[in-house]
Amino acid sequence: MVGPTASLTPLSRADGSASYQCPSTGSNILGSVNAPIELPGRRDALRPEDATVEVFVKPGTAPGGVGERYVEGIIKNMLTKLILGREKGYARRGVVITLAIVGGESVGRGDSYLTLLPALLHTALLALLSASVPLSMTFSATVLAVDASGKITREPSPKEAATATSLHVFAFSSNGHLLLSESQGPFEFKTWENVHQRALAICHGTLARSSDGDVAMAEDVDGQPLEGALREVVEDKIHLDYAWKIDAP
Amino acid sequence: MVSPLILLPGDEIPSEYLPSTNSAPLRLGAGLRLLSQPSSNPSTPPSHVISATQSALLSTDTKRNAVSLLSTPNRRYIPTPGDLVIAQIHHSSPDYFHCMVTPQAPQAMLGQLSFEGATKKTRPMLKQGDLVYARVLSIGLGAGAEVELTCVNPATGRAEPGGLGPLTGGMVFDVSTGLAARLIKASSSSAEQQDGVAGLVVLDELGKKLEKAGGFEIAVGRNGKVWVDCANGGDSAIKATVAIGRCLSTIDEHELSPTDQRKLVTRILREMKIES
Repeated sequence: MVGPTASLTPLSRADGSASYQCPSTGSNILGSVNAPIELPGRRDALRPEDATVEVFVKPGTAPGGVGERYVEGIIKNMLTKLILGREKGYARRGVVITLAIVGGESVGRGDSYLTLLPALLHTALLALLSASVPLSMTFSATVLAVDASGKITREPSPKEAATATSLHVFAFSSNGHLLLSESQGPFEFKTWENVHQRALAICHGTLARSSDGDVAMAEDVDGQPLEGALREVVEDKIHLDYAWKIDAP
Repeated sequence: MVSPLILLPGDEIPSEYLPSTNSAPLRLGAGLRLLSQPSSNPSTPPSHVISATQSALLSTDTKRNAVSLLSTPNRRYIPTPGDLVIAQIHHSSPDYFHCMVTPQAPQAMLGQLSFEGATKKTRPMLKQGDLVYARVLSIGLGAGAEVELTCVNPATGRAEPGGLGPLTGGMVFDVSTGLAARLIKASSSSAEQQDGVAGLVVLDELGKKLEKAGGFEIAVGRNGKVWVDCANGGDSAIKATVAIGRCLSTIDEHELSPTDQRKLVTRILREMKIES
């Protein structure tokens, strides 16, 4: 299983940005975050103590439509809970997240966005980290497809997703709590349980409980857990930026 | 010396990374917050953990008993009271000069009389486009608040630290806010170190090499501006100014070790044909 590749701060003019490629779904997303910025008008009046989060998803080839508005809503609802909008300098200001789909198979008009959702969420997270927006925790997300025989495919390609009976997207916080569960197509409770277990293993590694009740994260058939892969990207970038401080005697 | 610790939002700081406890209370820098964990046993007091809210490198200061986070360095400049900035006059009104600190932010206000020794009769007549080295006095509250700058310490009426006020001559170079913060750190600490402070030896090296060419003056603003002037340079003044700017912008783009910084200075001065 080839893990995703990502880079932090590829854009110099945005406050924070990230690019993210997922080889198995073929998605390639470029995201930017501008925060904290002054909002035009009186959009802040509803919640004066909190920051306003706005998410824009831009498809690569076509103008945005209903599908983009829907996925923007999902991402916004999830990120609003993670962003600490009451921190100093953020109240009554805006956090604007723009996600552009720059590669991979584009989603047709009215088609499901679920295959792209994890890549969009990861890009948004990395861009928020790059902009140093205060967050309460990080997360990792994955998409799984279940076909008619009950076989679970991790991060399906667009062709596999088209033939699947159901698609499931899960996001887990860095503490292992379920943050987001979006499903599409007919499935049973048992299937959902199986998919949930598999998604948790992909994001956090297999849980190996030792005798004293400690939970250790280990690698398994899914390769490196996604949580660790994202962490490595961020750590590498900070290591590079602060080489002068870390390498100093 | 413990190995460097890189934190992501939600990570807790292990207790061995905190400065060893002494009488002074621990100071938390930006990006860190104190969370209390209610204990299962109601008789014991709740325990506290310090967790990060940004992805950053942890930096501890044992002398001041402080911990802070060093976050992604190339951020847009956001004014904070006490910062030294280089601002450009946009226009003037009866009471204030309206200045640009960063192009994307609203203009900041600088009082006509907030200069050292300024009275209604003797105040600097600054024109549009002039530069001032100023300190951020206040940033106001809430959205759309005005940022106020000053060139004097309001308590003493002196330009403290020295050099605050109009900058005449010279040239301004743009650098990243991260490099500006490093330059300020490097110039504020006087300790003589072989590898320079904050990994920067470029200014010391330039100072040594350009001594014959008349030396130079430099002012660094937190808003990512560096003002350079070689007033005593004579014929090579312009060349030396440009050379300093090229050294700084190259170091900004590429992460250079102290040895490479020395090599870069030698190479650029040779290319610009400046005697050193």
